[in-house]
Amino acid sequence: MSDYSKKRVLVIDDAALVRTYYRSALEARGFVVEEALNGLEGLEKVLLQAFDLAIVDVNMPQMDGITFLHTLRSKELPISGIPVLVTSTESGMQDMAAARRAGANYYLVKPIKQETLAEYAAIFCGAAR
Amino acid sequence: MPLIRKPASPPETPAPDDRNIAEMLIEGSDDERWTAARRTTLLPEALPLLTTALSKERIARVREAIFTALAKMGSSESAAVIIPYLRSDDAAQRTAALDALRAMPGAAAVHLPGLLKDADADVRLLACEIARVLPADDASRLLEELIERELNPNVCAAAIEVLAETGTAASLKVLGQCATRFPEEPFLAFAIKTARDRIGSR
Amino acid sequence: MDDTQQITEDEFKRLADFLYRRTGMVFTETKRYYVERRIIERIVATSSRSFAGYFAYLRSETRNEVEHLINAFTVNETYFYREDHQLACLSSDLLKERVTAKRPGDTIRIWSVPCSTGEEPYSIAIWLLENWKDVDAYDIEIVGSDIDTRVLEAAAEGIFGKRALMRLSPELIERYFHGLDDERWQILEDLRQSVRFSRVNLIETKETRPQGRFDVIFCRNVLIYFDDESRRIAAENLYDNLLPGGFICLGHTESMSRISPLFEVCRYSGAIVYRRPQELRA
Ligand SMILES: C[S@@+](CC[C@H](N)C(=O)[O-])C[C@H]1O[C@@H](n2cnc3c(N)ncnc32)[C@H](O)[C@@H]1O
Repeated sequence: MSDYSKKRVLVIDDAALVRTYYRSALEARGFVVEEALNGLEGLEKVLLQAFDLAIVDVNMPQMDGITFLHTLRSKELPISGIPVLVTSTESGMQDMAAARRAGANYYLVKPIKQETLAEYAAIFCGAAR
Repeated sequence: MPLIRKPASPPETPAPDDRNIAEMLIEGSDDERWTAARRTTLLPEALPLLTTALSKERIARVREAIFTALAKMGSSESAAVIIPYLRSDDAAQRTAALDALRAMPGAAAVHLPGLLKDADADVRLLACEIARVLPADDASRLLEELIERELNPNVCAAAIEVLAETGTAASLKVLGQCATRFPEEPFLAFAIKTARDRIGSR
Repeated sequence: MDDTQQITEDEFKRLADFLYRRTGMVFTETKRYYVERRIIERIVATSSRSFAGYFAYLRSETRNEVEHLINAFTVNETYFYREDHQLACLSSDLLKERVTAKRPGDTIRIWSVPCSTGEEPYSIAIWLLENWKDVDAYDIEIVGSDIDTRVLEAAAEGIFGKRALMRLSPELIERYFHGLDDERWQILEDLRQSVRFSRVNLIETKETRPQGRFDVIFCRNVLIYFDDESRRIAAENLYDNLLPGGFICLGHTESMSRISPLFEVCRYSGAIVYRRPQELRA
């Protein structure tokens, strides 16, 4: 089994229950998890800390996930290129296309199982090495 | 020691002429449209003006100001102008509309029962977050009713998320029934268990 | 409920989630015991019968209970050089950035709102005199505003006790204050004259607009207690009171992510500050 104990994942979602669910899935595999409630708090976090992966929801107050991704990718920071996994309840083509245009690495449709989330986190953290 | 000068009188930002607000709101520069939107509520015909302006506006900051003006009006009619934007394909517009509705709880509440029955699951899902700003009893009752009839697991999850905050012992039964309806969804099982623990039985 | 009782882990989490959503403050398990005691104090003080009863009261935001609760577990006193890392950020980064487009002799305007009894605007003045090498090159104007005329009167008088001065060295006290008696010190006349005080309600545009535009605004520990509508209006007012590219600093437990998307997030020497975007003109 791989050890992800040094890999840092930022979970951005406005639903407390979702963040808790993801956190327990990721921590069980040794990831270190930070949380943010929306895109703006996510930007504050990436300005202060390093991450190997961000998991970002689309609908959130003040700043949605797509705008977060646009802003992150347009900054000239070492962290601007980290892999970003977008999650959303909408399987609509519009959101998926917007996420891809904004620079998402992958798109998962909610509800997401813990094993699936952990699997993708492992893939993207591995690829970032 | 007096390195810091005695302040001069501050340079005021020029205030626009009230007669021009309507014109500026539609045809002005970005700054003029922003300023006009912030002052429109002073005008008697504010609602149709803001409705038109919102439909044309592309700059996020000006849209915010228009939404704030509508929230300040706080009427069922001004909420009705915002609601269509919950259906936007653009996530930023949905977010802005939902935030505005949350800033006008009384007016948004009037539309909430309808939104929670909307044919579009994405609209029902966003509407759950509006319930969060209502008095806990109203919110819980509406969300419990929604959960009883809802077939979309993500909409249920959104309602459970809010119920975990607003719910009472009376919500526990509906939550329990919901769990049996989605045996294939581990996230729902987790959300329901957590919400029930949070609400407790005391 | 009496103060010998406890709240459960789930109740703690329910309240912590609510406060996190509303204010951005994080209450981790490690702080649980301390926070729990304060919560129980508030439950008793509000004569709530149970945690659930108190939580409903807190959510309804009647009588500013969110503010009372937060005050119960944060140091709420205002004193000189409070949050001095932000003052350090002001002199080392923010002003440097602001003066790139200015010439010597130009004015730099700084707004402390709400300023309460004046510790913050006077701290800014003293800090800049002590720590900013270009302090002589510009006209610096500092304005302190608050909604409460009583605190403004006290601010203009500039008389402070020991506790307010606890973070200042004896040299600084010597340099900028004169002792009235063993317990009270008054800011020197020159310094008092250099800070202007005005009464302003942050959610009244007709009161904020006449204050003009600023290079830097300190707006600490107030926005987070407003309801959603007031937050929006206050944020738009503050935007109008900033020059393009101007900065806004919030309290260290506050985050603009709970208030408004109008500002850019920036980081300077470990501090998060917010900025009115520069106008995008060719
Ligand atoms: C906790 S103090 C913050 C003072 C100072 N900024 C600090 O951080 O120490 C809150 C202050 O906000 C002021 N205040 C409350 N509502 C206000 C409003 N709508 N406009 C301006 N000031 C307000 C109060 O009078 C009080 O002095």
